[in-house]
Amino acid sequence: MSDDAELLERIRNGAADDFAEIVRRHQSRVFAILNRYERDAQKVEDLAQETFIKAWRALGQFDGRAPFEHWISKIAVRAALDHLRREKRRQNEIGLPELGEDALDWLRGDDGKNELDSRAAAEILELAMRELSPADRVVITMREIEGRSVKEICAATGSSSVAVRVRALRARAKLKNALEKLAKL
Amino acid sequence: MNEQKLKRLFAAARNETAPAPPADFAADVLRAIRREKQIPPPETISVFDRLNLLFPKLACAAAAVIVLGVAADFGLTAAGVPNLSDGVSQISAQWLLTPGAF
Repeated sequence: MSDDAELLERIRNGAADDFAEIVRRHQSRVFAILNRYERDAQKVEDLAQETFIKAWRALGQFDGRAPFEHWISKIAVRAALDHLRREKRRQNEIGLPELGEDALDWLRGDDGKNELDSRAAAEILELAMRELSPADRVVITMREIEGRSVKEICAATGSSSVAVRVRALRARAKLKNALEKLAKL
Repeated sequence: MNEQKLKRLFAAARNETAPAPPADFAADVLRAIRREKQIPPPETISVFDRLNLLFPKLACAAAAVIVLGVAADFGLTAAGVPNLSDGVSQISAQWLLTPGAF
């Protein structure tokens, strides 16, 4: 099995069908990234398709100095950011969805020591993060949920390390406030 | 919301698994790319091309202005209205070229 570099070289030389193999290799990672920003599975799939099409169009710009995986992740993060910006405008027109009972109980509990399943946690965060700007949301998701380093966030967002650190701190504070507001609802 | 509770929330969210891509996802992407390749890119039109396209219209407009001017001149002459050149020569003769006019 040839590596990404060989496959990409073949694609550049006209073997367009080999791009399907590239998609198969990286689709799980792309879906995992996009799922952090969108709960609807159909929309995640659409965004993943958009990510790979953007990668296809920009294939000539990929110089191979960094692994393809990093490059496609960066495109996925940018696609998520664009999506959040579009959604932000739309969300101002519709009401907030309701949280499930488990999520609400946990949120209203004093210590938060009760078990919280991952789905409920993602639901809570999804709702609270609507109070954040799309850029804040990307930074806090990458830092706190995906556990990425500041350097990785800089590479994906194109921001400086100081900007990322400051944004992460502010976003954390905003998120705390949003969660407190949700608990009082 | 205290720090510990926030950390627990992040930790729980971290464990969420993403939906698996559909089996034919790669084929769908490839189909979308093929569709895109079939659509011809929009043609780029240079400034000269634009001027070339515009030239017949400009020429027609200029010809129409000339024809209107000539027709108006003939019409006014036929109606006995003195034309502009007659008026100018009259003024010159009366005021400018008469000795002691100033």
